[in-house]
Amino acid sequence: MPTFFEALSYDFLRNALIAGVLASVLCGVIGTFVVVKRLAFISDGISHAAFGGMGVCFYLGIDPLLGAIPVALVCALALGAVDRETIRSYDALIGVLWAVGMAVGVVFVYKTPGYAPNLMTYLFGNILLVSHHDLEVILALAVSVLTILFLFFKGIVAVSFDEVFAKVRGMRVRFLMSLLLTMIALSVVILIQVVGIILVVALLTIPSVISLMLWRDLKAVLAGSVLIGVAITLGGLVLSFYYDLPSGPAIILLGAVLLVGTYGFKKLPRRALR
Amino acid sequence: MPERIAPLIEVRGVTFGYGREVVLDHVDLEIVPRDFLAIIGPNGGGKTTLLKVILGLLRPWSGEVVFHLPSGSDPRGRLGYVPQFSTFDKDFPQRVGDMVLMGRLGNAGLLRPYSRADKTAAEAALERLNLTQLARAHVAEVSGGQLQRALIARALVSAPDVLFLDEPTASIDAESRETLRELLADLNRTIPIVVVTHDVTSFAPMVSRIACINRRLFYHGDPDLSREVMEEVYGCPVELVTHGVPHRVLHDHHHHDHHHD
Repeated sequence: MPTFFEALSYDFLRNALIAGVLASVLCGVIGTFVVVKRLAFISDGISHAAFGGMGVCFYLGIDPLLGAIPVALVCALALGAVDRETIRSYDALIGVLWAVGMAVGVVFVYKTPGYAPNLMTYLFGNILLVSHHDLEVILALAVSVLTILFLFFKGIVAVSFDEVFAKVRGMRVRFLMSLLLTMIALSVVILIQVVGIILVVALLTIPSVISLMLWRDLKAVLAGSVLIGVAITLGGLVLSFYYDLPSGPAIILLGAVLLVGTYGFKKLPRRALR
Repeated sequence: MPERIAPLIEVRGVTFGYGREVVLDHVDLEIVPRDFLAIIGPNGGGKTTLLKVILGLLRPWSGEVVFHLPSGSDPRGRLGYVPQFSTFDKDFPQRVGDMVLMGRLGNAGLLRPYSRADKTAAEAALERLNLTQLARAHVAEVSGGQLQRALIARALVSAPDVLFLDEPTASIDAESRETLRELLADLNRTIPIVVVTHDVTSFAPMVSRIACINRRLFYHGDPDLSREVMEEVYGCPVELVTHGVPHRVLHDHHHHDHHHD
């Protein structure tokens, strides 16, 4: 059996590695905002709603992204525009969106004549099947999203921290929130194609949750999330290679172990010192 | 009755509610230069709601808020606001100094980094509130009084035309309360201050006027500074203010009484 490094001479593994690192960097940054602004459920809602758009595209025989991107953007902007005081059950609304999106997707995939893609692929994806073209798309996405976030960093941080104060200061709160939600939606949808819904949700949340336990300065948390995301992606791929595990779940479970370990590490010493 | 001074802010006939429930019913209010206005009234009487309407956070159903600030009629970024603690998430990874610096943000210049002037202003505000030592501490690590001061520093860092504070004494200890009083008295030498409070006795010596809100504006004018009266006003604002105190009611609202259920 070749070692992991020898196996990197295979295109598919190299592509998987590059895609994983790019996805981790993007998710680490976006995910930090998702976690601190408590948008995880919204991101899940957007990704599952987008699945509905993909299903319609399968049925019509066109590129799934053509359906997924508009659906995700509309959902993101609509969720950003909804007044939370008017719609009291905001969480329930997202739950409805999630279920309806999945149902639409499943119906259209089922009705698609001829070859129908496996649903499992879209839930868990397969990072080992990333093509060269996919890599270009992710790279373009990562560069654009990170550039926009960098340019609007002060404003997005201010709105994430204290929307009320940002509004009193005369900042364009709606615009900045919509911008953040748009960046989340775009990243989620394009990454779903590559690594699957569940891995996207995992990479958005797990590294940032761990990083928030370890650091208390936003920039440190951002850097930490990116590094932790890259580490669990690489580690998960290595584990999946040596132990013949499905790659996505291997990454997620490694992340979960690290999360529980970090929690224990933060909790135990204080008790021991007492 | 004092001589009439041109107001900086005029609240004209503001009506606002949540859902079908009217919270503010044709409220008129003026904020004049050098004012130390205490907005008092019972819980749920609409004090904080009125503050939010003035700050532009809520749009009134009818009526308007008109500004005659030194900077003009556009209030955006000219009003200093010190919220109650609960408006943001203390788990957010944020240092005290960075939070104060955020007070410099506004509608313009979002794309450029913080300037030298921004940083100098933030340092000055931190120093004025005796927070220089805590600039690198996290918002979750400081005491209630320290966080309160940091929020005031954030509001002052942009040199506002008016300073609004929502329940500033709610979550701080007696010592911080004394410091806060001195600070507000000092600030009031240059700008008007509006305080929404349950605790009007804390500010009694400085308050130049009070406004008593319980859905409608029941009283707006000079406070009778006797401690007894202030306590009475605070304890049972509606009955005592309308019947027990020599006062000036700005407008007669009786004909509006029954326009909702």
